[in-house]
Amino acid sequence: MPVEFRDYYATLGVAREATDDDIKRAYRKLARRYHPDVAKDKKNSEEKFKEINEANEVLSDPVKRKRYDELGAHWQDEGPGHPPPGWDGAGAREPHGGQAREFHFTGTGFSDFFEQFFGGGSRYGFGSGEHEFGAEGRAAGRRGADIEAEILVTLDEAMHGTMRALSLQAFDPRTGQAETHSFQVRIPAGAMEGRRIRVPGKGEPGDGGAPAGDLYLQVRFAAHPDFRARGADLYHDVDLAPWEAVLGTTVVAPSFEGAIKVRVPPATQQGAQMRVRGHGLPKGRSGERGDLYVVTNIQMPEQLSEKEKRLWEELSRTSQFKPPEHS
Amino acid sequence: MNDADQNESAALPRFEPTDEGVYSIETVVQITRTPRHQIAVYCRHGIIAPVIAPEREGWWFDHEAIRELRRIESLRVDYGLSVEGLRVVAELFREVERLREEVRTLRRS
Repeated sequence: MPVEFRDYYATLGVAREATDDDIKRAYRKLARRYHPDVAKDKKNSEEKFKEINEANEVLSDPVKRKRYDELGAHWQDEGPGHPPPGWDGAGAREPHGGQAREFHFTGTGFSDFFEQFFGGGSRYGFGSGEHEFGAEGRAAGRRGADIEAEILVTLDEAMHGTMRALSLQAFDPRTGQAETHSFQVRIPAGAMEGRRIRVPGKGEPGDGGAPAGDLYLQVRFAAHPDFRARGADLYHDVDLAPWEAVLGTTVVAPSFEGAIKVRVPPATQQGAQMRVRGHGLPKGRSGERGDLYVVTNIQMPEQLSEKEKRLWEELSRTSQFKPPEHS
Repeated sequence: MNDADQNESAALPRFEPTDEGVYSIETVVQITRTPRHQIAVYCRHGIIAPVIAPEREGWWFDHEAIRELRRIESLRVDYGLSVEGLRVVAELFREVERLREEVRTLRRS
């Protein structure tokens, strides 16, 4: 099934030798520009935002990035859509040695290219082992296997809930038949990362009249330029100048309710977290919410003017401070 | 979504997650076609866990348990694993999922 190659490096505007930091920075800058909440051209930015997220999913993960680089190196050799030899695609594998049936998804938030080569670590079905026995006692049919796939959800979608249109194409290499199922799945508000949403009957078809297995969609959060999620809690990193950490300051942090002012107390240490209660993600249906943590990251100046240098030198002479581990 | 998309979406079958549902053991037997005694064995060995509902008597199971049960039962039927073997495998599945989660979180930091 020919699929178009995606140039993730070009999408993020980074070189192939880009470091993890380069990629993180490039992602944040672009994600902020095309974020659906702030972008001016909302319709077109949505597509672009998805591309950026997908490129980041692959390039920020060392294992995926390595695979991607290898894939890219061999892409022209075999012709478009053909993976290099020895490549294990993301089709479903039948555990009993039967020929693998391929499943292709659209609408999971990933492109066809991603789905085919990087889609979900657990894209396999387990035969359900449910044998239907006829009057003679022989197995009359077997329920189809369950399939697990990942669905990429933005934090905003997790915050408010969303309805996603999915298309599932099952391709049986034995018969050459392809069957497409289109349907919508609601991702509820408060859906947490790792949560499985069951779509009954959309798994592998059953044998001999037995029912089909189920499709399980596992929620994965797309990286967000401003937040990291852990359960229902959100983490936002802020950079501070050394004097801001020492003397204290007020910082502005983003939240789903708009910008909030957070007080950084004097003598704040590296990595200190300020908790803002109730500004995290929803915790299920109860209306309760997790917390937002503002994490401080003290940055050191790299360039100093002569005057600044003198002030720092005076400080080093005047101060009684000795770091804890100093001998 | 613009109007055209809305109309098309309205025609597609919709699936809403039913997250609060718990099922009685009788229903689970029917859904998964696993004999009752087999489910009891799995519970006794800690392979799957019922949802404890103090106000209701008997065993109740949620979606996760049903999914687990299907996976484990299929391994038993297809590979003939003993109950002890199944318990080890179930533990490994959980550990792998937990590790995946942790790796993902760590990568994001």
